[in-house]
Amino acid sequence: MDAHIRKVYVPMTETGFYILLCLQEEAHGYGIVQRVEALTRGEIRLSPGTMYGSLSKMEKDGLIQFLREEEKRKIYRITSLGRQVLELEQKRIDRLYRNMMEVQGNEIHKDGV
Amino acid sequence: MKSTKTEFKIFTILQWEKEQEYLRRQQQNGWRFTRVNFFSMYHFERCQPEDVVYQLDFNQEGAAHREEYLQLFRDCGWEYLQDYVGYSYFRKPLSAMKGGEEAIFCDDASRLDMLERVFRGRVALLLVIFFLCILPQLFRIGQEKSGMEQFFSVFFLVLAAFYLAVFVCFAVQFWKYWRSVHRR
Repeated sequence: MDAHIRKVYVPMTETGFYILLCLQEEAHGYGIVQRVEALTRGEIRLSPGTMYGSLSKMEKDGLIQFLREEEKRKIYRITSLGRQVLELEQKRIDRLYRNMMEVQGNEIHKDGV
Repeated sequence: MKSTKTEFKIFTILQWEKEQEYLRRQQQNGWRFTRVNFFSMYHFERCQPEDVVYQLDFNQEGAAHREEYLQLFRDCGWEYLQDYVGYSYFRKPLSAMKGGEEAIFCDDASRLDMLERVFRGRVALLLVIFFLCILPQLFRIGQEKSGMEQFFSVFFLVLAAFYLAVFVCFAVQFWKYWRSVHRR
């Protein structure tokens, strides 16, 4: 993975993260929008301008690849480079979560004393 | 009562947010936007007042893959209206938005990407014209021999002044947009 990819995608936007997460299975842009809406119980509704721009950029950078077209919808899937980026991001989020629990756990402990 | 009207209105390349608000306000007042054509003439027709969100996108890659690009917007409930000087026009009624007001961009990264696309697609070209075509002509001022040459000197001087005014305008709008994205 070159420095450019690392700089642009780690850490990545929420939109970027959900795209890579969903594209571990084949999907088109609107399919991702629907999946994310369901996953987040309607809290995150990705917009078409953002989605189209992110997909084009990620395809150009080789994180995802275009497979075929179905009824005017482009179907994509993650590449191995995309998987590496997703893994880095997952580790980062994991660390954030662990640290949050550690610090908050200590706070609760202190309050309890 | 008239059922259609036409308004002449100028928006610069970087004023798409102002233009969106203008179209939205018109429909709130009972005038539905039908089209804009060259010379910046905005056409409207009478309608029931309604709150409809208008959005402009500038995406040359989308223009190259027209069908797939528009399909994604249609799937998300945005009606495509037309293209005009590189911009694509979309609208969606507020009543069709489930969780509050929507826009075609949902994060700051993509709002700034839009600004970058407009800059590359439009403003960069004007800068090239200015530095390669207009500025060199100004160095010839004072060396004119015929009346025709003097005429062209004045012509390029006026053109240069106009371009400079446009660039200052852009710089201000660029800064305003940048700031609005970071304060959102």
